[in-house]
Amino acid sequence: MIDAAVSLRSIHKEYRRADFLVVALDDITIDIPIGEFFCLMGPSGSGKSTLLHLVAGIDRPTKGQIRVLGDDIGELNESELAGWRSENIGYVFQTFNLIPVLTAWENVELPLLLTSLSKKDRLRRARTALEIVGLADRLEHLPKQLSGGQEQRVAIARALVTDPSIILADEPTGELDAGSADDVLAILSTLNKQHGKTILMVTHDPRAQQYARTSRYLDKGRMTEMPHAVPA
Amino acid sequence: MGKHLFLVWKNLLRNKRRTVLTVFSSAISVFLIGALISVYALMYAQDPPEESAMRLVTRHKVSLTQALPYYYGSRIATVDGVENMVPMNWFGGTYIDQRPENFFARFAVDPDQVFDIYSEYTVAPEQLEAFQRDRQGMAIGKTIAERVGLELGQRITIKGDIYSFDPELTVRAIFEGPDDLQAFFHFKYLEEGLKESVGTEYASQVGVYAIRLRSVEDAPRVAKAIDDMFRNSPEPTKTETEAAFQLGFINQMGNIKLFLLSIAAAIVFTMLMVSANTVAMSVRERTREIGVLKTLGFRRRSVMGLVLGEAVLIALLGGAVGVTITVAVTTAMQDMAVQWFTGFTLPPWGIGMCFAMAVVVGLGSSTVPALIASRTKIVDALRHTG
Ligand SMILES: Nc1ncnc2c1ncn2[C@@H]1O[C@H](COP(=O)(O)OP(=O)(O)OP(=O)(O)O)[C@@H](O)[C@H]1O
Ligand SMILES: [Mg+2]
Repeated sequence: MIDAAVSLRSIHKEYRRADFLVVALDDITIDIPIGEFFCLMGPSGSGKSTLLHLVAGIDRPTKGQIRVLGDDIGELNESELAGWRSENIGYVFQTFNLIPVLTAWENVELPLLLTSLSKKDRLRRARTALEIVGLADRLEHLPKQLSGGQEQRVAIARALVTDPSIILADEPTGELDAGSADDVLAILSTLNKQHGKTILMVTHDPRAQQYARTSRYLDKGRMTEMPHAVPA
Repeated sequence: MGKHLFLVWKNLLRNKRRTVLTVFSSAISVFLIGALISVYALMYAQDPPEESAMRLVTRHKVSLTQALPYYYGSRIATVDGVENMVPMNWFGGTYIDQRPENFFARFAVDPDQVFDIYSEYTVAPEQLEAFQRDRQGMAIGKTIAERVGLELGQRITIKGDIYSFDPELTVRAIFEGPDDLQAFFHFKYLEEGLKESVGTEYASQVGVYAIRLRSVEDAPRVAKAIDDMFRNSPEPTKTETEAAFQLGFINQMGNIKLFLLSIAAAIVFTMLMVSANTVAMSVRERTREIGVLKTLGFRRRSVMGLVLGEAVLIALLGGAVGVTITVAVTTAMQDMAVQWFTGFTLPPWGIGMCFAMAVVVGLGSSTVPALIASRTKIVDALRHTG
């Protein structure tokens, strides 16, 4: 019986170079239950992105164990991780990271290229995902023809099109004005409430907090209960 | 891979100007290679007519520019295995003017033998007879006749250059056949014309003897027998098959094969360098996107496939354009130069080589960037700016 979507045990992450050592994460242990909307806050450089990378399996911890939906992802090799990620994880970046030469529709179709779906099914599912984020009328637009908020919504559609259980969002509102940020946060909240997605969102924007059910703080790579100083 | 093709295609459209330039430069290299292959094919890879294998050519051992005595002909005819022979003199000269359109090859020959030896040429019997009877008659290949605009019965004057004699000739026969790019007139007529200016001895000298064998297998033996016969005379001979003779003619210009090969190698090498640089640049620009694709779950080999696929697609486009240019150019040149040679074209195997070269260059220049791209750590790729 899996009760935790994400469970981190004594996670350490160090960046070691010849001339420096950065401890990005220092003994992190958390459990994020399935269906949670979890908000991780903290100042710049506190290790938030690093933690998301580890959960997504795009980087590995120096020490500690990560279980996602019951799987110890430390046991998967790079190629297995790629397949695992495409099935279980949707990833939303701060800078959207849409492919500029692809239309909104094609961008959202992209993760489905890794499935065995037919072209027709891929396009149908991509359209549905774009409908969910309210962009059914922007299918053929290129990223540069969209506003920042719209771009981020396309990116969310891309993250949810494979129907993953977990959506990881790294400062999804970091580049957006207040109005667009609210749209994006509302969509994430809907995905959590109506579609049952577990959401792990990183931000240092305190306004994002009100959409989340649980908030935790990171500071200098350590979990802390109380925010010391949250930057405005 | 099929469904990734559209990604590859979209990537090509990303920077249209660069793609067009890359395709174009690849096309130019393919064209250069294609042109070299066409030259090679023209010189070395043409299938000569079957009759060619039945022929030997005897010339002066020292060089083609030295003549042989006329009496050698009857001696050669006595060699066992020789069916027939014909003396031939290259008569340069000018018809009308120096313009290339009016050029054609002219030989003074023995009219009674020449069509027995060049049996691949077909000529109407009554025309042949007319040619043989008229001392000032000329027989000319159909391709040339049409090109230069000569008809039966037409009278022409050739202005001599090597020889101080201007033959006045009447077109008596038009023959057809592979490589019918020459005209024949009577050796006796030339000899007569020269007697006045250079004297009897020089007038009856012969450039080469074309020999028809009884059987192909006799070639080495007959060639040796002929050369042995004249070994100790003041004018020793060199006898070889027609194919070897023509190659020797070409090889007078130097080691052409090596020359062609080294140009080709230089082109391929340059192309490899230029396109490796382009691919590396375009992959580096996309480092972040590659990080995104991998975050979405694309594996190393998909990323490799995208980069290599793009290079191969460009190569194929460049190949197609390059081959088209080559065919157009060689066809135009062949058209202009029909008096000199036939078969100047890019053969099917050459088309294959052109595409293969393009693809090899494409793969060769993109393998390293593709490997680097596919191995970049995702976190590093995502942090990449620029
Ligand atoms: N690849 C790397 N090499 C070296 N140090 C790194 C690397 N990635 C992150 N770090 C360091 O690890 C620490 C945590 O970085 P991280 O990106 O996780 O912070 P963050 O909380 O996401 O900050 P921000 O809010 O600015 O995005 C920082 O000190 C950073 O400099
Ligand atoms: Mg960050």
